Amino acid sequence: MVAMKGENCVSIAADRRFGIQAQTIATDFQKIFQMGPHLYVGLPGLATDTQTVMEKLRFRKNLYELKENRMMSPKVFSAMLSNMLYEKRFGPFFVEPVVAGLDPKTHEPFICNMDLIGCINLPNDFVVGGTASAQLYGMCEALWEPNLGPDDLFETTSQALLNAFDRDAISGWGATVYIIEKDKVTIRNLKTRMD
Amino acid sequence: MSTERYSFSLTTFSPSGKLVQIEYALAAVAAGAPSVGIKASNGVVIATENKHKSILYDEHSVHKVEMITKHIGMIYSGMGPDYRLLVKQARKMAQQYYLVYQEPIPTVQLVQRVAAVMQEYTQSGGVRPFGVSLLICGWDNDRPYLFQCDPSGRISLGRQPPWARITLTGRRFWKRDLELDDAVHTAILTLKKVLRGK
Amino acid sequence: MRTICIGCVRISQNNLELGVPPFANPSENLARFNKDENGREIKIKFDHGTTTLGFMYQGGVVLAVDSRATGGQFIGSQTMKKIVEINDFLLGTLAGGAADCVYWDRVLAKQCRMYELRNRERISVAAASKLMANMVYNYKGMGLSMGMMLAGWDKRGPQLYYVDSEGTRTPGKVFSVGSGSIYAFGVLDSGYKWDLKDEEAYDLGRRSIYHATHRDAYSGGIVRVYHMTANGWKHIDNNDCNDLHYKFQEEKEDLGKYNTIISYLCALF
Repeated sequence: MVAMKGENCVSIAADRRFGIQAQTIATDFQKIFQMGPHLYVGLPGLATDTQTVMEKLRFRKNLYELKENRMMSPKVFSAMLSNMLYEKRFGPFFVEPVVAGLDPKTHEPFICNMDLIGCINLPNDFVVGGTASAQLYGMCEALWEPNLGPDDLFETTSQALLNAFDRDAISGWGATVYIIEKDKVTIRNLKTRMD
Repeated sequence: MSTERYSFSLTTFSPSGKLVQIEYALAAVAAGAPSVGIKASNGVVIATENKHKSILYDEHSVHKVEMITKHIGMIYSGMGPDYRLLVKQARKMAQQYYLVYQEPIPTVQLVQRVAAVMQEYTQSGGVRPFGVSLLICGWDNDRPYLFQCDPSGRISLGRQPPWARITLTGRRFWKRDLELDDAVHTAILTLKKVLRGK
Repeated sequence: MRTICIGCVRISQNNLELGVPPFANPSENLARFNKDENGREIKIKFDHGTTTLGFMYQGGVVLAVDSRATGGQFIGSQTMKKIVEINDFLLGTLAGGAADCVYWDRVLAKQCRMYELRNRERISVAAASKLMANMVYNYKGMGLSMGMMLAGWDKRGPQLYYVDSEGTRTPGKVFSVGSGSIYAFGVLDSGYKWDLKDEEAYDLGRRSIYHATHRDAYSGGIVRVYHMTANGWKHIDNNDCNDLHYKFQEEKEDLGKYNTIISYLCALF
């Protein structure tokens, strides 16, 4: 799972494997979810917690948007998620969330990640999470540069992800990349190694 | 609680469909000192009379205008002790909101939450409605906000600029294009007028 | 046979000197070092994930293996050679601890060559596998981890043996070893018969390994296929799992189209 900032755009990408340790169960598993027109959250980790956390987040976000009659910004969404995770401090959800999006008003790019009990990390280049994170850090550190346009951002994100998979036994089996821009979101499924 | 004698709600409908407990609460508000809120084009003013029963009171010990957050303020007409409870609750709710969302609470949200508390006291057992009407002012989205909140839990919102809305607890009127300085002046004048009438 | 003495331990060995732990009865006492003061396991993580298979059929023996080497979930190599060419008539496959397998195969190769020089004839597969089994048996319980197949062709014809670090040594027709073996067996058993033609046998081996690499995270990379014949071993080919995946997927789609046409024709008549 990786998210990157670009020039007026952000990307978020993840693999599509669902497995139990060495055994690959499915290769079409979704772990990135849309939470708003320009807001996406990636929840790598224990599959059951991925889905539960996503549902709880959607519940709280919808309630907020109804109460306040406005869109939730990525910053507020992350603060809310962080608090939700800390509620389970002594029996956490096993997910390492990654948030990527554009502010609904200013369209400013936003990315962040946090650990399983909600400690937020807000860098202004890229964030990673999940199993191949060590490899992803290496790839991102080498490939990322400031002010990437949407096309270059797609290329950089995809290459970082694909090459990180090749050094991790338990990720891969397909990948999805989201490029989030002000007036469009592009979703692409990558062709990857299937071993 | 539920085993106690007055654990049921005392606020009940009269045959004509009124809640007389709330009318009594409004009477308590009317008996209190007047307060005024004016929303101008570039700000909002809230003011109330700072008179006390005896010359022996230190006037600095009377806190009627209270800050809830940096961008929200509150005054009241009615019963002081009831007001203090609401101020405490309002501050708590504002901080709780900030804790969860890392963003200051919008004035509308605070007003709705305070109003929810006030409404709860009209329907719960073992309690009575609040004897206060609140004027809550705030500033967000680069503009002023002014609300009134009644013992029933009813909320009314001040009209947006270019109209200035003047809310004197119980009465409202509008003026066109009022600047903040004029609003302060108008507030003082209004209070004076009302007090002279008494 | 020579007996060497290291520390206080006597271990009978074949011209080998391996540092064994300097205390009595290492196979029992070594295990005590595998736990920390809280009783938690602190075993060294070796490369364990692999898929290898071998089977005998009318044309000889086919061996097929993957090429991934992992340490934990980290992929150390995608191009590892898991079939060792011991000599022209003897092949060994590796599964388990990479270093253990490579080292003992090297020792075995040396021993087999020594046998040839001494006896002026090639060693039988039975004897070679027994050498291997005996060597590793000396270290039983000390943490060696290996599961290997030995395929060869000797006076008695094609041979296939399974040997592991627990001391097992057994001849057989169909074997698969490693973390992906359960998946490989699934394909292998359903397609196996004695009368397989050469090409069919290679394809069966290839498909079995490919399907194992698809399901098993610790197997992958390249599928290598070897064939043991009366004239010695032949390296058939190497195929990248990636190419195999998209090739097999295409075949599946074509078969799907074919079946639709057939059922359509059946419905017509």
